[in-house]
Amino acid sequence: MSLTAGTAESAVPAVEFRGVNKRFGAIVACDDVDLVLHRGRIHGILGENGAGKSTLMKVLIGLVPRDSGTLFVDGIPVVISDPLDAARYGIGMVHQHFSLVEPLTVWENVMLGDEGRFDPLEIRRRIGEISERYGLGIESEAVVADLPVGLRQRVEIIKCLRRDPDIIIFDEPTSVLTPAESEQLFDVLRQAVQEENRAVALVSHKLNEVLGATDEITIMRSGRVVDRVETREADAPGLARSMVGREVSLRSSGAALGLVVKLIDKTGVEDAAVSEYEGNPVLTLTDLVVHSNDRKNALDTLSLDVHAGEIVGVAGVEGNGQEELTALMSSLVEAVSGSVSVDGRVVETGVAGSMARAGVAVVPADRHDSGVVLNLTVAENLFLVEPEKVSRRGLWDSGLMTRRASELISEFEIQAAGPDAPLWSLSGGNQQRVVLARELSNNPKVLIASQPTRGLDVGAIEYISNRLRGARRDGVGVLLISNELEEILDLADRIVVLFRGKIVGEMLRSDVDLEHLGMLMGGAIDDLVENSY
Amino acid sequence: MTITNDLEVEESRSVSPSDRQTLASGAGFTVLLYFGCFFGAVTLSAALVQATGGSATEVFGALLDGSVRARGRWGQTLGISVPLILVGLGTVFSGRAGLINIGQEGQLYFGSAVACYAALRLGDSAGWTEVFPGPLVLIFCLVAGALGGAFWAGIAGALRYWRRVPEVLTTLLLVTVAAQVVGYGLRKDWLLAVPRDGSKAAWRNISTAQLPPDQRMPRIEVFGNSFPISVVIVLAITAVVTVVLTRSVWGFRLRMLGLNSRTAHRAGVAESRYGMVAIFISGGFAGLAGAMMLTGGDFGNYHLTPGFSVNIGFDGLLVALVARQMPIVVVPTALVFAGLRTGSGFLAATGVEREITKIVQAMLVLALLIPPAILFVRDRRRAMTATKSRT
Repeated sequence: MSLTAGTAESAVPAVEFRGVNKRFGAIVACDDVDLVLHRGRIHGILGENGAGKSTLMKVLIGLVPRDSGTLFVDGIPVVISDPLDAARYGIGMVHQHFSLVEPLTVWENVMLGDEGRFDPLEIRRRIGEISERYGLGIESEAVVADLPVGLRQRVEIIKCLRRDPDIIIFDEPTSVLTPAESEQLFDVLRQAVQEENRAVALVSHKLNEVLGATDEITIMRSGRVVDRVETREADAPGLARSMVGREVSLRSSGAALGLVVKLIDKTGVEDAAVSEYEGNPVLTLTDLVVHSNDRKNALDTLSLDVHAGEIVGVAGVEGNGQEELTALMSSLVEAVSGSVSVDGRVVETGVAGSMARAGVAVVPADRHDSGVVLNLTVAENLFLVEPEKVSRRGLWDSGLMTRRASELISEFEIQAAGPDAPLWSLSGGNQQRVVLARELSNNPKVLIASQPTRGLDVGAIEYISNRLRGARRDGVGVLLISNELEEILDLADRIVVLFRGKIVGEMLRSDVDLEHLGMLMGGAIDDLVENSY
Repeated sequence: MTITNDLEVEESRSVSPSDRQTLASGAGFTVLLYFGCFFGAVTLSAALVQATGGSATEVFGALLDGSVRARGRWGQTLGISVPLILVGLGTVFSGRAGLINIGQEGQLYFGSAVACYAALRLGDSAGWTEVFPGPLVLIFCLVAGALGGAFWAGIAGALRYWRRVPEVLTTLLLVTVAAQVVGYGLRKDWLLAVPRDGSKAAWRNISTAQLPPDQRMPRIEVFGNSFPISVVIVLAITAVVTVVLTRSVWGFRLRMLGLNSRTAHRAGVAESRYGMVAIFISGGFAGLAGAMMLTGGDFGNYHLTPGFSVNIGFDGLLVALVARQMPIVVVPTALVFAGLRTGSGFLAATGVEREITKIVQAMLVLALLIPPAILFVRDRRRAMTATKSRT
C-alpha cells in the first residue's frame, strides 16, 4: 500500500514501523503493526481505549521495548532503547499526563533533566523564541503552579520543541483543554508541520479531532491496524465503524466516539429534560470550601443544587476541583466551611460512611482508589457498602450473598468467572459495572458519577451512559462530573461549569452555546450567571 | 492516574488464560513450594552437619525425639505452642487491618508483668486470699495480662492515629522500653520483687515470688505427657477468632480497611476506630500469651524473671507470617515452631557443635518463611499487573 507523500522531500518516510509486535502477558497490545509517518503531514492514529495506539507510540519513543519488528527512521533501521535515544533521532513526545514540577518556573522545568553545564540565559532565550514563533504566549519566568492547565500543556510542548524534533507525537492532547484551546493547539501543529516540514503523530480516540486536524488517519483496533485513509476522503460513520468493528449509531454512541452534537435536536432530548423541577432539590451544596493536600480552596464557596430525576453535568478542565468534589461526596475529605444536604438533611462531611448512609452513591474517577478492593471477591465488592443486606446478626449469610451477587452479576451483565472471582481478574469495564451495580442497587437518592467512562471501550461507555439515564428515570439526582464535554452534552439536562473550585456558569442543555461554554471552562467570567437559569 | 494509561490493552476479556491457570494451580503450587523449601533446608542442613563431622541422622533424630518422640516431650511442645498461637492470632488481627505490629515481644513481657502484679496483689501478699479464691485470681491474672498487653500496644496505636507515627517503629521500640520498665518493677518490693531480708546476695537472682499452686493453670496428664488446660482454651479462642475474622461483617470490614483504606472509609469504616480496636486486640493477645506463660508452668517456675519472654513474641510474629493471616493455619504453624524449640533441647546430646545446630534450626525456620514471602510477592505482582493493565 503506498500513500501519496505530501511534499517532495518526504519521499523517504520520517518513520516507518514494519511488523511491530508487543505483548503484555496474554494481552496483545500491538499485533504486526505497519505504520508510516511522512514529513509535512499530520497523521492521526485513531482507536478506542485499549486499541494499542499509545503502546505503539511508546515503542517509538523508547518507553516500551518491542517484541519483534523493525523501526526505520529516515529509512534507516534503528534501535531506540529510551526517550533520550529517541531524542537523538529527533523524536519527541508530548504526553497526555504532564510531568511538571509545580513550584518551579517554566524555564527551570524546561531545563530539568539536562546534563552537564547549563545556561539559564540561553534556555530562556530559546523559550522566548519558540513561544513567539508559535504564538504560545509562555513567559519563561512564570511559575508553573500559577498557570492554568492549557498553558501547562504548552510548557510541555516547549519542552518537546526546544530539542527541535523532526518527529513529534501528541498523545491525547486535548483531554485537558477547552475547545478553544484545542483549536489553538491544532493551529500550532499545522504551523509546525507545514512551515517546518516536521512529521506529527496525533493519537486520539475522538473522531472530531482526527477529522479536523489531520492529513491521514490510521485506525487501530485490538492491537491491529484495521484501516488507513486520507482524511479528506474519510467520514465519521466510516471511521466509527472501523474503530469499533461494527455498525454504530452516531446518535447513541456519538459522544463516546468524541463527536459533539452541534445542533440540538429538541426531539431527541428526553422528556426528563424539563427546565423546571418541582419540589426541593435532593442534593444541595452550599458555599463549600475544601482544601486539598497541595492546594487551598480546591473548592471555593461552591454552591450547587441537584433535583431528583435530573442529570447535572459538571463541565470543566481537569484539575479545577473535580477530584475534591468527588472526594467530598465520598466522605474522604472534610469541608472547611459550607454544608452538604441530602434530601433536606445536613450530612457531616469527612465522617466515615456518612455520605453513603445518607444515600449518596459514588462512581469515583479512580475506582481502584476508592471504588473497589481488588483483592476481595466480586461478591464482597458488591456488598461492601451495605453488608447488612446479606448478613444476619453480624455474620455473613454466604448462601444469600452468592444468590444476590449472582442476580446483580446477570442484571448488570458483569463478565466474571463467578461471584467468588477476585475483582482483579475482571477487565476495567467489568470492574466499573461492579461499582455501578453496587451503588445503584443501594437505592441512592443522589449519584455522583465522576469520569465514569474514562478508559473504557465504546460498548462499556454506551452501557454506562444508559445506566445513568436509567438512574435519572428512577428519580435519582445524578451529578455527572466529566472532562469529556461530549459526554456531558450527551447526558446532562443542565450543565454547570467548574473553574478553580467555583461554579462559574450554568445553563440548560437546550440552551448550550458551545463557544460560550468553552470560554467559561477557560475561566472567562460569566456576567449572565444570575439570569441564565 | 499516570500509571493507568501506561498500558493500553484489550478491554473486553474478563479473565485471561494465564489468570485462569494461576487460579487453578494456586493450591498445588503452594504445597509444592513448601515441600521444595523444606526438602532444600533438610538437604542443606544434612550436608552441613556431615561436612563438619557430625551425623545428620542423629541431629534430625534428636530434633524429633526432643519435640515428640521422647517421653513427655509432646506435652511440652503443646505447652510451648500456647503463647505462640495467641501471639500469632493477635498478629493476624493487626495484619488484616493493615497495621504492622512487630512489638509482640514487649507487649507479651509487659502483659506478663501486669498479670504477675495482679496475682501478687490479689493473692496472699495483700491478704485478700479469703475474698478471692485461687481460680478467680487466675482469671483476674489472665485478664490483667491481656489488658497490660493491649495498653502497651495501645501506646503505639494512639501515636499512629493521633500523630501519624508509624506503628512499625513504635511497636518495636516499645519492646526495649517494656524490658526496662518491667526490669524496674522487678527490683522494687512495692511492685513485683519478692520482699527481701536485706541480704545483698539475693539481688543477683531477681525474680518475683512464685504463684501459689491454686493460682496456677491446671495441668492435664496423658500418657506421661503433661500440658496446661490453656491448650484447650487456646483452641477454643482460635475457633472464635476464625469465625470473627472470616465469617463476620466486622472481620470483613477490618480486612477491607487493610486492603484499601479509602474504599473502606467511604463504606463507613473509620480507620482510627477499627485500627485502634485491632491493635488493642493484637496487644491483648500478646499480653494474654504472657499471662498464660506465667501461669502455665512450661516457662520457668511460675514466677517472673528478667528475660521471661524468651523471644516467644518474635517467634509468634513469625508464626503469623507463615500463616499468611489465616487464623486456622496459626495452630499447626505454632506447633511446628514449638517443636523446633523443644526439639533443640536434645541437640546438645548429639555432640554436634552448638553453632552448627543453630544454623540447622535457622534453616528450618527459613524453609517455613520463604514460601509465604514468595506467595506474597506473587499475589502482589498479580494485583499490580491487574491494576496496571485493566483501566
